Amino acid sequence: MKKVRVLVSVLLAFAMLFSAAALADYSVDTLEVKIWDNNQLAGLQEIADLWTEQSGVKVNIQVVNWDNYWTLLEAGATGGDMPDVFWMHSNNAEMYMSAQKLLDLTDYIANSDVVKLENYYQGITDLYSKDGKYYAVAKDHDTIALLYNKAIFDKYGVDYPTDDWTWEDYKAAAEKITEASGGEVYGGACNTGNNQDTFYNIIYDFGGYVISDDKKVSGWNNENTLKAFEFMGTLFNNAWAPQPMLAENGKNILFENNKIAMDTEGSWMIREFYDHEGHEDYAWAMLPYEDVNGNGQCDEGERVSIYNGLGWAASADVKDPQAAWDLIEWFSSYEMQLKQSELGVTMAGYIGCSDAFMNAFPGMDISAFLKMETEGTLVFRPYSKYTSRWEDQATRDLVTIWNDPSTTENVLNTLAADMNDLLAQE
Amino acid sequence: MAKTKMTPTQKSQAKWGLAFVAPTMIGLLVLNFYPIFNTIYQSFFKTGDFGMGNIFVGLKNYATVLAGNNFWRALGNTFKYALIEVPFSIVFALLLAVFLNRKIAFRGGYRTIFFLPMVAAPAAVAMVWRFLYNQQFGLLNNVFHTTTAWISDPKIAWISIGVIGVWSIVGYNMILLIAGLQEIPHDYYEAAEIDGATGVKQFFRITIPLLSPTIFFILQTRIIGALQQFDLIFMVMDRSNPALPKVETVVYYFYTTAFNQNNRGLGAAIVVTMLIIIMAITVILQKSEKKWVFYN
Repeated sequence: MKKVRVLVSVLLAFAMLFSAAALADYSVDTLEVKIWDNNQLAGLQEIADLWTEQSGVKVNIQVVNWDNYWTLLEAGATGGDMPDVFWMHSNNAEMYMSAQKLLDLTDYIANSDVVKLENYYQGITDLYSKDGKYYAVAKDHDTIALLYNKAIFDKYGVDYPTDDWTWEDYKAAAEKITEASGGEVYGGACNTGNNQDTFYNIIYDFGGYVISDDKKVSGWNNENTLKAFEFMGTLFNNAWAPQPMLAENGKNILFENNKIAMDTEGSWMIREFYDHEGHEDYAWAMLPYEDVNGNGQCDEGERVSIYNGLGWAASADVKDPQAAWDLIEWFSSYEMQLKQSELGVTMAGYIGCSDAFMNAFPGMDISAFLKMETEGTLVFRPYSKYTSRWEDQATRDLVTIWNDPSTTENVLNTLAADMNDLLAQE
Repeated sequence: MAKTKMTPTQKSQAKWGLAFVAPTMIGLLVLNFYPIFNTIYQSFFKTGDFGMGNIFVGLKNYATVLAGNNFWRALGNTFKYALIEVPFSIVFALLLAVFLNRKIAFRGGYRTIFFLPMVAAPAAVAMVWRFLYNQQFGLLNNVFHTTTAWISDPKIAWISIGVIGVWSIVGYNMILLIAGLQEIPHDYYEAAEIDGATGVKQFFRITIPLLSPTIFFILQTRIIGALQQFDLIFMVMDRSNPALPKVETVVYYFYTTAFNQNNRGLGAAIVVTMLIIIMAITVILQKSEKKWVFYN
């Protein structure tokens, strides 16, 4: 009798599975997905293929590089031909949400057993919501850590970075390496576009800010921001590689070619360094902190990691909204978020799924990224409705400071005035 | 007089003629004329996102363009670029054309080699040069044992960019000039030789005047092309390149305004202003044509 009951329940379970599959009656047989990071393609395709197995809908993921991605997405949004499912980013989310170009996911989320918003990073959920409606689900989150080349430190007899380093320690070590190598190798590097992974962190460590919480006021001319820039001014050329060098080579390229000893990098870059032939010499530490209150230890807000999170969004006029949502729900589910971590694609947008990511790179200890989160302070990447307007201007105009630190105050004041104008127009 | 009626043959020819030019006409209308008028229209607006919510602002965008330093600086850079690309690419092309018009060994091979850059995608050409010029890892500095910042030293970056421009276009100009050379009847040279004219004299008295229509054509198209330079700078120069303010052209300035800064209205005003400038230059060139271009 017992056996029969088990058999019946198994059969019932099967029947339910099949009926669930039968219920999902999609009107499309393929979903077009666009992303901008080639490093994530293989892992995400693997996750998407698992969804295809049960839904019968093929998922075609295409990579378009960052610049063209936004040109393409905007043209698609203007002409009514967007990809079905795609990534959203803090730089542009507000613009797409206010123009109603993204599928409203509020009801889908409310009815979902899988996606409960309290399980995802609050900052990311907030970013992708507007007027009480939700337009994307957190795909991942990222933190920043300090990458260093052990071989270079050994060669010049400098102690490895530790988790107790302040920015002054960082500076001292960097200068030592630059000097000892006679300028052959620089301690570190930062270009004017390396905001999230480098100088934004330093600004916030010093107590400065880039944009006010209400997104109305620029922080470029804040006194603590200025202090951060004054500190960075002492790094150019002695501790950091000259700016023109960075205009021709990304700092990851300089690092991989042993031109710089240290490099602050985001967790989305781990794969890049892990796959590099020199990776046995590479190691990670937490970002240094700034002892603002001078008590000799790292307190809240003194070690900031700027974080950001992409969101899975769908086009407002997607042919089959149910299919698009089901795919987003699949990507966002606990199991698949965990799988994304395990495959080493990125850290998760689902809180508590990122430990697996730390083990995805055997032989490389990347726990610093998680420690930045537990021991440091997470600050969300500064953004507004038209982030790229003022960010692009900063990338260009900060070049003057990088090449001549005595211009710092003037340039920052101009940047602040221009940014305030731009923000007032939003 | 009665209206001249078309014969059935003429009618049929006209019909087929129209049918044959239709694809080009439609292409021009849809891909060129519509965007041109749309751009002019947009230049009077403060544009909203995704083409929605445009606000009419009259000539404000034009005032911004003409009052700001950026446009004039970009215009200056554009002329500097044209000043390298146009004369050098024509002079080199002329020399190459004269040499490769003679019967020398591997003539076809040389012609092909010089024409090759024209076949390669401009973006690919720019990427290759970007690698060659690279200060740290580039071939140029490695071969010459120098540490020159070819593309990020504000003093020389514009020349480095100009060199790429000349290199890319010289083969194309050469082919046009070879075609022009072959049009020149050989009798002239024979007659000149009998009269005792030297090679140099022949070149300046026969070749140049008889080539002038071709040279004029190249000059005109190259000036227009050079003033629209964008892709080289976009591909070679990073946004953070310290030499960028000395190199960025009007079209590059338009691109960053319209797409990086997301300000389509202002961007439209920039290109329309440029269109007017190019048109003015073209008119001046056309007027000058009668003075020095010699039609046989």
